[in-house]
Amino acid sequence: MQNPYVPYPVVVDKIITEVDTKDIKTFRFKFVNPEDEKKYAYIPGQFGELSIFGKGESPIGIASSPTQKGYVEFTVMKAGVVTSALHEMEEGTLMGLRGPLGNSWPLEFLQGKNIVIVGGGFAFTTLRSLINYMLHEDNRKRFGNITVIYGARNPGLLLYKDELAEWAKRADLNLNVTVDKGDATWKGKEGFVPAVCKEVAPNKENAVAVICGPPVMIRFTLPVFFELGFSKENIITSLEMRMKCGIGKCGRCNVGSKYVCKDGPVFSLAELDKLTPEY
Amino acid sequence: MEKRLIKKDALAGIAKKMTEGFLVWAPVKKEDNVIFAPLGKSDEPFFSYLNSKNAPKNVFFPHTETMMKYTRTGQGMAFSSEVKKADKSVLFGVRPCDAHSFVLLDKLFDQEKYKDEYYIAKRQNTTVISLACVTPPYTSCFCTSVDGEPVSSDGADILLTDIGGDYLAEFITPKGEALAKYFGDTKADAQADAKKADIAAKAKEAIKSKIPAHEVKPILDVNFDNPFWNTIHSKCLACGTCTYLCPTCHCFDISDEVKGSDGVRIRSWDSCMFPMFTKETSGHNPRSSQKERWRQRTMHKFKYYVDMFNAISCVGCGRCVMYCPVNIDIRKIVEDISKL
Ligand SMILES: Cc1cc2nc3c(=O)[nH]c(=O)nc-3n(C[C@H](O)[C@H](O)[C@H](O)COP(=O)(O)OP(=O)(O)OC[C@H]3O[C@@H](n4cnc5c(N)ncnc54)[C@H](O)[C@@H]3O)c2cc1C
Ligand code: SF4
Ligand code: SF4
Ligand code: FES
Repeated sequence: MQNPYVPYPVVVDKIITEVDTKDIKTFRFKFVNPEDEKKYAYIPGQFGELSIFGKGESPIGIASSPTQKGYVEFTVMKAGVVTSALHEMEEGTLMGLRGPLGNSWPLEFLQGKNIVIVGGGFAFTTLRSLINYMLHEDNRKRFGNITVIYGARNPGLLLYKDELAEWAKRADLNLNVTVDKGDATWKGKEGFVPAVCKEVAPNKENAVAVICGPPVMIRFTLPVFFELGFSKENIITSLEMRMKCGIGKCGRCNVGSKYVCKDGPVFSLAELDKLTPEY
Repeated sequence: MEKRLIKKDALAGIAKKMTEGFLVWAPVKKEDNVIFAPLGKSDEPFFSYLNSKNAPKNVFFPHTETMMKYTRTGQGMAFSSEVKKADKSVLFGVRPCDAHSFVLLDKLFDQEKYKDEYYIAKRQNTTVISLACVTPPYTSCFCTSVDGEPVSSDGADILLTDIGGDYLAEFITPKGEALAKYFGDTKADAQADAKKADIAAKAKEAIKSKIPAHEVKPILDVNFDNPFWNTIHSKCLACGTCTYLCPTCHCFDISDEVKGSDGVRIRSWDSCMFPMFTKETSGHNPRSSQKERWRQRTMHKFKYYVDMFNAISCVGCGRCVMYCPVNIDIRKIVEDISKL
């Protein structure tokens, strides 16, 4: 059996600088041993531990979708020791990847429903995984209407710009991209995510909202969805806690009786209500 | 069950004899303390001890342990895991409360989904010999409140009970039976059983410190925000002594060390009492003061572990009570919670 503390060897295959400030990059990894890719079968919403020897590990949400074969992607903001070391890396470097870890977006629960995805800032990564998964031709008919509301502070901070342009052309996706403040070339929406949610006013019938973003965005977005009549069972989000082991052993990331690394990071608001408000 | 009698003064000899085939961890005197250490040729085990200062959990879960090794190559790092084949070991003469702690740690490290092979390898290769407490070592012992007993075979492969002139050796598991040959060939009779039963009952009776550990779970369920939590922590120094000495505390850190082009990834004990434990890179800390950290410690032992594994994660050894430099007493905390 695979020792869950030992990473799979991966090679940095491609690095994409996502934002103008250059502190958020997407890293595409290929497995050194092709058979490891099968072992790394993941579901959108899960995360991995990126492992840089001599520096340590960081838990990062998986940004690619399992429908994208041959590689796995993570979008990482430069923050501390490990993420800074990662940002210094060049294509071709050998490093480690553990996982997939955690639960996932509840795909079975989402099936057959209208899906409203709300993302803010760089927390959009695992939502992007979910969107690409649902849009894949094998999966699209399993889901109802898909509405996406995605905001960033300014156009330069939007992730996955090429993909956003592709999605905008699709008829089977209602895409709403907004920035707090536009620039000379910006032709899209301006305004905060909660305001755009109000404007788009997704219908609560047979719908689930999947919301992920900075705490302030969440704080002001939730009331909008409550007002629209969404129940707490039908609002799903993902938590972050400081992590080490990622497998519920090191005792670091619990919220009440649940380990965010193992039992989460995805919870419905109804589930969160049952936990202690300590995150 | 196989049962034998051995002369009291034969015990040290048995432990030493075992060193020929096993790594034997036994209580030894180190300056003023008794700790569990691998028994060397010239060491004398010290079986008339009260309890060891450190919990013997380090036999399965060392303070620091290498998880992986790696070497720099032209393109990055090549690495290999370091689950060593554990030495065949005997943990000789642990107190029943500490043996009970292994049963609790097993629930965490040896779960269905994720197996901790570092812990499991050592645990599986170790025979645990418990030494019953025929008189409670300390007035702060409260094992009987947390599913333990001073004469208990919980977590043990062999249980030794001092029944007067002899030790009664009971071989609880096949792993224990496999070592029966070291214990001579005097079979124990019904009289020895009766003596042991009498001693066990008296020892249990002699544990005077009691806490309502089983009553507090439903109270903790609904009192996360109770102002009571403001009353424990103000004198806590965040030194971590309570968690380091505790037989059931299992939190750890993972870190990398590099020397030249070689490095290791190690794990080392960590503590929920430390401010950095949950601090995120952004500066956000969900447990921002000692109040939240003490609430976590209490909740983890008497509520969260019960929710997760249906067991209280305290064995009543009293170490945290004895060694806390500012006398924070978990027994009083539990007592106070029961009155909320
Ligand atoms: C489930 C999950 C998904 C995440 N997804 C992403 C993502 O997609 N993109 C991204 O840029 N960031 C993500 N993060 C946050 C990211 O893990 C931290 O920014 C990162 O660990 C900081 O590590 P560092 O070594 O650079 O910082 P340092 O300050 O040097 O951190 C030292 C160590 O502390 C731990 N740590 C510190 N802060 C955090 C934190 N907020 N969360 C978890 N562990 C932490 C890590 O083990 C880290 O290696 C995610 C966190 C979690 C829990
Ligand atoms: S909490 Fe204290 S009394 Fe209970 S097992 Fe740990 S050290 Fe012993
Ligand atoms: S031993 Fe006492 S002072 Fe030290 S962390 Fe524990 S409760 Fe606080
Ligand atoms: S990261 Fe170790 S328990 Fe969750």
